Amino acid sequence: MNGSGFRAYKLAFLLPGLLILLAIILFPLIFTIRVSFSSWDAITPGLNNAGGINYAKLFGDVRYWQSLGRLSLMAVGTVLLQYLLGLGLALLVWREVKLRRFFRVLFLVPMMTTPVVMSVVWRTIFHESLGPANDLLGMVGLGPFQWLTSASTAIVSVMIVEVWQWTPFMFLLLLAGLLSLPREPYLAAAIDGAGPIRTFFNVTLPLLAPVSIGALIIRLIEASKIMETVYVLTSGGPGTATETTGYYIYIRGLRDFEIGYASALSITYLVIMIVALTIIAKLLVKVFIGERT
Amino acid sequence: MARITLERVGHRYGHAPYALEPFDMVLEDGRSYALLGPSGCGKTTMLNIISGVVRPSEGRILLDDRDVTVVPISGRNVAQVFQFPVIYQSKSVYENLAFPLRCRRWPIARIKARVAEIADLLDLSGRLGKPAWQLTVDEKQLISLGRGLVRDDVAALLMDEPLTVIDPQMKFQLRRKLKAVSQKARHTVIYVTHDQNEAMTFADEILVMSAGKVVQRGTPQELFERPRTTYVGYFIGSPSMNVFDAEIGAGGVMIGGTPIAPGGALPSGLPTSGLRVGIRPEYASLAQPEDSDTLAATVVGVQDHGSVRIVEVAIGTARARLKLGRDIAPPSAQARIRLRRDKLCLFVDDHLIAAGI
Repeated sequence: MNGSGFRAYKLAFLLPGLLILLAIILFPLIFTIRVSFSSWDAITPGLNNAGGINYAKLFGDVRYWQSLGRLSLMAVGTVLLQYLLGLGLALLVWREVKLRRFFRVLFLVPMMTTPVVMSVVWRTIFHESLGPANDLLGMVGLGPFQWLTSASTAIVSVMIVEVWQWTPFMFLLLLAGLLSLPREPYLAAAIDGAGPIRTFFNVTLPLLAPVSIGALIIRLIEASKIMETVYVLTSGGPGTATETTGYYIYIRGLRDFEIGYASALSITYLVIMIVALTIIAKLLVKVFIGERT
Repeated sequence: MARITLERVGHRYGHAPYALEPFDMVLEDGRSYALLGPSGCGKTTMLNIISGVVRPSEGRILLDDRDVTVVPISGRNVAQVFQFPVIYQSKSVYENLAFPLRCRRWPIARIKARVAEIADLLDLSGRLGKPAWQLTVDEKQLISLGRGLVRDDVAALLMDEPLTVIDPQMKFQLRRKLKAVSQKARHTVIYVTHDQNEAMTFADEILVMSAGKVVQRGTPQELFERPRTTYVGYFIGSPSMNVFDAEIGAGGVMIGGTPIAPGGALPSGLPTSGLRVGIRPEYASLAQPEDSDTLAATVVGVQDHGSVRIVEVAIGTARARLKLGRDIAPPSAQARIRLRRDKLCLFVDDHLIAAGI
């Protein structure tokens, strides 16, 4: 068959898929780019041509860059914690067959609940005078802490809720990874005389590398969009202490109705995320797998 | 290096029938043994019992005079090569070979010398600095073997079908190397395989297994010349042994009414039923004009195996295969064949009672 020439029927086969792709992915993206070059706001709505003014303004927007820095800290911090906790839990119940079913369901509860609902519950838990967090800590002589009203503790509180909510996801992925590992490397390690720690670092961790990388990247992508937790728990406060990029864009776009400027922020944010996550993915591969790719 | 003694060792998984029926066996120090049998015959179970992966439901295992029945894998001082090469992916070839010694806290200088020695033996010296994952499958399998060889405390070297994933061309070379190296190291070697060629070329002694039992133990020659049962006759040799239903008549042992060894010395008290005669295809040939005691046969088919031809013939109602050299022209339709009388095996109820009539 001659496959090189253009045939109308080939286009006919491709078109439905292409059109859907254009409609659901490319159109909103291109539209946002177009909006970012306009000065669409509450006073003068509509597409006009404002040139690069939004982008110029963005470079001097300290609040935006601070939110980006804060987001990086929160995303990397929470995902690392989730990984360590998830791996720890997975290793604990890996060999335990008896209660595995029970634990699996138990660990999944946080993941299955709606983030907004759980954030409300946590906001109640963290309530300074009425919440159980300070009550319980008070019994062992700690606190009271200003969970949500002090800049330094508020960010920790948000991170605690994030870790609580998403550790089960890590746990589940890593447990599935552990259960699929072959048996022979463990026998070989036992025969070679390796103890549990050596076995973990030389057998389990390298074998689990592909799953680890996948789980970390999926979670990083998700975590870079932290929004609901912040919205319900602190509304970005106190001040801007817990304001993440997503939340800042929301304020600019949907509260102040600076649609054009918010679009410029979104596009910049998207580009930064794509670049950052690509670099992180490469780094993760290097750390976990070394040169073998 | 050690003698391995199995005392009334048997194993069943749960309440299932015996995967390995209770038996006694002594494997001598420094010899190499092959466990040969089809899939599911219990050979891997036996290997796992010796290595400590499986604790037998009955009996005792002794390494020399030490009872290791309940000792876990790490305390048994066995080395094992698995079906698929097991290497530490993230480490170099050197680190892979040094790993068991690091676990044993050897001083670095001693590790270096020992690894160099073993790498030399395995022809891996030039690749010590390479990441282990970059090596070919057969080299990886050598690393698996090497990790057993570097240790100085190995009581037995166990190999579980180590050539399964190796290319046919490399198989031959690797097998020769495995044999040479393990002979040099003078380990007690137990080699599990379902490939009779591997077993015959590798081991000093072969244990043929079937349905959880060791059917026969012997040198490759013994198994070939005097298979204890028709099963061993079928299993060893390619093509397998010709086995005919036979009866005792006026002319001695008869196949399909034709005497095959007139006047032969038969053991006394032969039963009238369940009698069978076996002969290797190698010991059946086309008759020469001067030969006596020949049989009339009809040629059914000829298979060309390259160096030899396998001729399938019908003798009365029985079928037989002959192995003919390449220089002998295969017969066309009718032929007279001759069976070497000294190589005939007489079976009663599938058990050998006499070899040579």
